[in-house]
Amino acid sequence: MAEQSGTAPHDRAAELHRALAEDPRTSELGVTVTMRGEKVHLSGTVVSAERKAEIDMVVHEAEPGLRVTNDVQIVSAAEPTGAEDIR
Amino acid sequence: MTTIAAVGDVHLDEDAAGRLRPALGHIGDTADVLLLAGDLTRHGTVGEARVVAKEFGGLDVPVVAVLGNHDYHCDEVAEVTSVLADAGIHVLEGDGMVLDLGECMLGVAGVKGFGGGFEGKCGTAFGEPEMKSFIGHTVAAADRLKSALAALDCDVRVALTHYAPVPETVAGEPPEIFPFLGAYQLGNAIDCCDTALAVHGHAHFGSERGQTPGGVPVRNVAQPVINGAYARYRLPT
Repeated sequence: MAEQSGTAPHDRAAELHRALAEDPRTSELGVTVTMRGEKVHLSGTVVSAERKAEIDMVVHEAEPGLRVTNDVQIVSAAEPTGAEDIR
Repeated sequence: MTTIAAVGDVHLDEDAAGRLRPALGHIGDTADVLLLAGDLTRHGTVGEARVVAKEFGGLDVPVVAVLGNHDYHCDEVAEVTSVLADAGIHVLEGDGMVLDLGECMLGVAGVKGFGGGFEGKCGTAFGEPEMKSFIGHTVAAADRLKSALAALDCDVRVALTHYAPVPETVAGEPPEIFPFLGAYQLGNAIDCCDTALAVHGHAHFGSERGQTPGGVPVRNVAQPVINGAYARYRLPT
């Protein structure tokens, strides 16, 4: 990981973002990756807890040395309570 | 009044099967039609399409869909479309349909659309073949949407896309990726007809509400934006 640690944080974030999009286990384009030193913060939404765990797995495999904060939320599947009047 | 229910970007596969169904069981009590704004699957496989078919098939309202970029990923578009059609889900791509809802003939024209960006900050069909192909795809999609909207013989017209027709509803996404989220040509197509509402998805970090330059209300119904099984919009008839 020494080689990756020498890479600029925005490049490492871009590589992780790409991994999350292109790895078939995740295929997530809607996750924001923010690097701070050896810490990475993940945000966005997915549809299940399993998918949130898969994101952790892919990030860990790409950069095992990183401390990951996975703040990805599970999107609600609830029925709406109201309706908007379009005029 | 006609009530439109709409959602996009549900990204279903086997592990998410049945997730939305509880909220859909009696959708006819509160809506007249359900519009699906693309990215119905995760990778665009036939197996995932079967999950979508089970989730949205057999509802007590008509279901009209467009596909999104995820639904194209495995190059099984024809098969995915066929699975959805077999479940009674109408999949539009550059065409339209009119639904007799009793008090209103509702016309829906749909196209996936594509990127390219918005006024003043957009790609052009110039230079490399890849760039001409990119923008050419967008222009063709917008032209098909315009023709489909114009051909609808109905009381109320709705445009359904996956990609965004205006920048307002992608606000919240990084500005650098706006050209991959939508294109102004789609907004111009929507403005060419008397359209009552435009619905799209794709921009997960975007905003729900916007309008075209011509004043047509635009709603981003990507599930992460509306944070629910679907959103409801009431249109005067």
